[in-house]
Amino acid sequence: MADDAKKQEIFDKMKNGVIQYDEDACKEGAQEALDAGLDANEAIFDGLVAGMEEVGRLFEAQEYFVPEILMCADALYAGLDILKPHCKQMDIGVKGSVVIGTVEGDVHDIGKNLVKMMFDVAGFTVYDLGRDVPLDQFVEEQLKTDSELVCLSAMMTTSMVGMPKVIEKIKAKNPNCMIMIGGAPTSQELADKWGADGYATDASNALKEAIKMVSFLKKLRDEKLAKK
Amino acid sequence: MNSRERVLDLFKGKPIDRVPCFSGMGNITEEGINKLGYKFAAIHSDAKMLADTAASTYKLFGFESGVVPVDLCVEAEAMGCAINVYPHAEGILYPTIKEKLIHKEDEMDITLPSDLASKGRVKLICDAIKLLKADIGNDVVVGSYVLGPFTLAGQVMELNDLLKLSFKKVDKVAKLLDLMADAIIIVAKEYEKAGVDFITVREMGATSDVLSPRVFKNLILPPLQKILKELTASSVLHICGKTNDIVTFMMEAGPSAISVEQKNDVAETRKKLGKDALIFGNYDPYNVLVSGDENLVRSTMRQCIDNGVSAVWPGCDIWPTVPPQNMRAMMDEIKNYGGKE
Repeated sequence: MADDAKKQEIFDKMKNGVIQYDEDACKEGAQEALDAGLDANEAIFDGLVAGMEEVGRLFEAQEYFVPEILMCADALYAGLDILKPHCKQMDIGVKGSVVIGTVEGDVHDIGKNLVKMMFDVAGFTVYDLGRDVPLDQFVEEQLKTDSELVCLSAMMTTSMVGMPKVIEKIKAKNPNCMIMIGGAPTSQELADKWGADGYATDASNALKEAIKMVSFLKKLRDEKLAKK
Repeated sequence: MNSRERVLDLFKGKPIDRVPCFSGMGNITEEGINKLGYKFAAIHSDAKMLADTAASTYKLFGFESGVVPVDLCVEAEAMGCAINVYPHAEGILYPTIKEKLIHKEDEMDITLPSDLASKGRVKLICDAIKLLKADIGNDVVVGSYVLGPFTLAGQVMELNDLLKLSFKKVDKVAKLLDLMADAIIIVAKEYEKAGVDFITVREMGATSDVLSPRVFKNLILPPLQKILKELTASSVLHICGKTNDIVTFMMEAGPSAISVEQKNDVAETRKKLGKDALIFGNYDPYNVLVSGDENLVRSTMRQCIDNGVSAVWPGCDIWPTVPPQNMRAMMDEIKNYGGKE
């Protein structure tokens, strides 16, 4: 096992790789982490996710915009693809599966893909329905997979209005299913009115919400480790 | 002075009796469609139905413009993209692009069809403009819209790739945007020939929520300038989302007026651009006009006027399920309040 300084060096390489959208650095860092016998989950969270948290901050500070975030996401995935096969199942007390897609009438999927990425890193099983997804397909997929989370995305006001129908149908069949809505026209008011459990208005917001969710999972994991 | 004279004088910079209430973007209502007995999915491909629907917002509520098309796919379709009008949808779904022209970076070197002006629905929209003019053209202005070069590029190629390449391969993207500008000019010229009073250029994709002001200035501004220089009708440049940091660039692009949405601090924009700049905006067409009550509609209209808009105008398309009483409250409030200094 590598010493702490070496470990931090490897994690920092991945973290900075994500921040500087350097896919090669992320790949190298991930491989070094495996070669050094480091825990893959830890490398994902303390390397890749830590980098993405900083990217979220840079976006908020308007130093980064969407093109940069997309490139950072590519770098993150480059590392994730190497680490993922070596992840132990995260035992955090949730089954962790999510149905995600952009609603019918909308072909924008950037926000949706960023949220999906954070579920990917968190080890969720992601059922990605893609974009322009007929409303009933969300309901069917949730029932079929018994996912505890459904994420509906819409970039345009003109497509957002299909959301309440999906929420109503899913909640009628499965009241415990959590539903997150996302997209520029969404708001807390609409989420409340339509019975959604969360919302995110833009890519950074979606990223932040997803990071929050994933950071929460990380905290649970740390607490669990501390108990051992 | 009637609505048409009011808006035309506004564009000319002449004094007018009150702030007008109109839009250069989608403003059809379910109330209008239902009264006509049309099916939403059918109106996009029938000039008469399109013109009738576009005229209905003026006829029912006194809204001070008529605008066609009502969807955002005309240019991309003319360039060869397949569109989906959702013919079987129960409710209202706007057409989207089904098939892109460019699937990866090395396919970006495309050319325009030589007869672009006769492709897709360009002629149909021109026919609708003529019908609309004949119907309500003496009473209100008739407008049309085209997409901005970046927004159109986001339709003909994967937006994800376009955004990344705007960073990595600036020259390639600049070349594509210049071609988009050419396509947009061709379509806009047809609309002008058909007799529109004004054209709105909708560059929704280039908002500061997505692109930095620096990228906007370097990459988006030149093709916008190219387009707006070619237009002879009055023009409005619309950008969604955060725009306070780019309003001066929007003016530099050369439109007659700029249009901003609810995320723009209009009082600040007014300060920045001066008293003579035409600033249209900036109420939230969904959270105020559709889901708000009459009081919220009225207070928002007053707020827009107090903040200094030159015309009260929505931040995006008006969503068709807008309650008729909210449309009436909006028009009533502006007639009463819009003349106050």
